[in-house]
Amino acid sequence: MAEEKVKISNYLNQQMIFLDQDFKSTDELFEAVAQKAATEGFVTDSFLPKIKQRESTFPTGLQLETRGVAIPHTDADTIKKEFIAVITDKNGVPFKRMDDPDADVSAKVIFVLGLNQPHAQLEMLQTLMATIQDDALLDKVEKASKIDDIFDIL
Amino acid sequence: MKKLNVLVACGAGIATSTVVMKKVEDLFKEENIDANLIQIKIAEAASKQEDADMLISTTVLPTTYSIPSIKAMGFLTGLGVDKLKKEIVDTAHEIQSEA
Repeated sequence: MAEEKVKISNYLNQQMIFLDQDFKSTDELFEAVAQKAATEGFVTDSFLPKIKQRESTFPTGLQLETRGVAIPHTDADTIKKEFIAVITDKNGVPFKRMDDPDADVSAKVIFVLGLNQPHAQLEMLQTLMATIQDDALLDKVEKASKIDDIFDIL
Repeated sequence: MKKLNVLVACGAGIATSTVVMKKVEDLFKEENIDANLIQIKIAEAASKQEDADMLISTTVLPTTYSIPSIKAMGFLTGLGVDKLKKEIVDTAHEIQSEA
């Protein structure tokens, strides 16, 4: 990963990292993230209804070899300032799978993508996908106990 | 050889399709397949399929299309990438040989 120029940490914000949570549903998770994001000026009021709707139409859970992750995101016009929120959940949040909405995946690591410039974040997105595919790295994210650790890892 | 028009779709046309665009672009370059890639939201696929030869999507396909449609989550998860690449290349060759 040393050759990657763009780091995920450039898009991280202290306020938008939620560690060791225990969300029972995607809606519960989205409500918590949306509330904080609105307070911090990252999103418009339509972010919450739109991300909920988007997730129910086109789910974003990904089943990897040994774990589940999710990358919820929604329309660019709901994002005022770009961000990536990182959520780790003790018991895993049930997401529907991107490739099979009838199947669930339990996601212990969730990246909420607040992006508003299509095409522009290719390098960051590639880094993010490489991160998702890096089992050892994701393990560190899952086990991180301090917000600063997330900045160090990503 | 026919230049292919390929739709690359995801739900919002913003995140996962951006990653897949790059992967498909690299793949076609490696395989010397001449293609024009168009990034779209999956909701636009039905109206755009008439002018396109192939659809590559990271979402479930909400309907059936008249053009070959390939699900490409493998580029995101890293699972089954070789098989996925082969499917895309084989489909491209098939379309070119029919043209």
